[in-house]
Amino acid sequence: MSDQTAALLIIFLFVIGVTVLGMIPGMRDHTKGGMKLEDWAVGGRNFGRWLNWFVLAGEIYTAFAFLGASGWAYARGGPTFYILGYGALAYLVGYYILPSMSPIGRKYNLMTQPDLIEHLYGSKTLGILTAVIGIAFLLPYLQLQLTGLGLIIETCSYGQITRVPAMLIAFMMVAAFVYFSGLKGVATTAVVKDVIMIIAILFFGIYLPTHYFGSVGGMFEALDTAKPGFLSLPGGTKNLDVSWVMSTLVVTSLGFYMWPHFATNSFSAKNPDVLRHNAVYLPLYQICLLFPMLVGFTALLILAEPLKTPDMAFMVIVQQLFPAWVLGLVGGAGALACMVPAGDLLLSTSMLFTRNVYGRTFGKELTPYGQARMARFVVLGLTAIALSLAIFLPNMLVNLLLTGYSGVTQFFPMIVLGLFWGKATRLGAYAGLIVGEILVFGLILGKMDPLAIGGMNLNAGFVALFFNFIIYVAISLLSSSDKHLVSDKAQDL
Amino acid sequence: MMLVKIILTAIPFIWTIGMVPFVNQVKPLVFGIPFFAFWMIAGIFVCFLCINGLYYIDNKKNRAR
Repeated sequence: MSDQTAALLIIFLFVIGVTVLGMIPGMRDHTKGGMKLEDWAVGGRNFGRWLNWFVLAGEIYTAFAFLGASGWAYARGGPTFYILGYGALAYLVGYYILPSMSPIGRKYNLMTQPDLIEHLYGSKTLGILTAVIGIAFLLPYLQLQLTGLGLIIETCSYGQITRVPAMLIAFMMVAAFVYFSGLKGVATTAVVKDVIMIIAILFFGIYLPTHYFGSVGGMFEALDTAKPGFLSLPGGTKNLDVSWVMSTLVVTSLGFYMWPHFATNSFSAKNPDVLRHNAVYLPLYQICLLFPMLVGFTALLILAEPLKTPDMAFMVIVQQLFPAWVLGLVGGAGALACMVPAGDLLLSTSMLFTRNVYGRTFGKELTPYGQARMARFVVLGLTAIALSLAIFLPNMLVNLLLTGYSGVTQFFPMIVLGLFWGKATRLGAYAGLIVGEILVFGLILGKMDPLAIGGMNLNAGFVALFFNFIIYVAISLLSSSDKHLVSDKAQDL
Repeated sequence: MMLVKIILTAIPFIWTIGMVPFVNQVKPLVFGIPFFAFWMIAGIFVCFLCINGLYYIDNKKNRAR
């Protein structure tokens, strides 16, 4: 058996095995006469502490962590270290926000982030707007997972499968996976994938630098000698300097829990203490993000030919230095690291569309079963959009995630001040959100991210958030005669 | 207690974001890791300890109630 057949065979066996595993809980529900949308997507609101922990952790170790972080380390150097900082801060933010969101969700039977906005501000239109924006910025995140999976398939075929067919295969794998399982399946499979990913990333992160340079320190010494300055800011870039890292850390730490899929997850937690307790130990997980970076840095030193696609650094180094079966195992775990989060993202996105856009406009008569059926078709549509983005607008994985972050961070004033600030008003929310999103779109599409201003290079999302926040507060104060203050909705528990 | 909670919340942000201009250097390597990366990782531990402190305070309050 040739190398590429062996590696690809292992990947597919792996993925099929896990998909079947993921389908078992779903099939059991079918015997009781079909699933409602709530069962399929929120898992029936009965996650205990441990299962909930794996769902949250499963999302952290995505294509972004393993391919994106190593790719940026390879191509950008120092700026990559921002990735080590934001997660822990995000959990601190979540420690305050999630326990307030979750009881409201349970009490009023909310399932999605736009549900929460609709409830807080008493406005269907604002809910629909939130849903549309949420979908728009979940797409680059989906594109990231799909691109990652495509790159894995491409590397594991030893170049036999080129980029576009690899993306098509990735598309079919993801769509089939989600179509047949649902969130319960995603949670079961996250356990398998987390264990294998952690073993693989620790092994390569430590083995490669040690094998070639004696130690991790030896590798960094060699890199610092070969490329002075690469490991500090702005590293291998011109404008990702200190101000960029600081503004990006603000955007990503505040934006983390603004991803629409996290709202769905926090509503599925059994009680607020589960969420608080998660925040206590989840930060330590972030340390594992260092190891893929070590692989990326080592790849920069030892790969003879520069890579056209830096995001392939991790896979290429395994492909060149290890036998096919090792590549197959890493590829299989990596494929799951793309598919599990992609599944979760797709479910949340299709919920946003089915429930908060279609369900609030044309499809008011849809039954819960009709919604569930429709959500599955929306999954296919969304995956197809992400596929075409991946083929026609390729970008580095970390850049894709940063684009999404810039967009969803704009929900922060609306959600957090809506929950905690007595003077927040509907008009303020509209104004802040619209200004913020227009700035994000304008700056990113105008290639002004990061924005050079006053000797600094600021993350576009940060600039937008700044104005969003000021306008939100100003308009809220000006429109305080609007009787629809949100405080009574948030605090009537 | 409120003041302690504010301090515990502020420390991780100051450590990880506020200090970036002062820690942007490769040398000295700490545990073999560039200084800036080491600082970020140390921030994870600082944050972990601060959230634990917050959780401890909040839990004590809940039990007292």
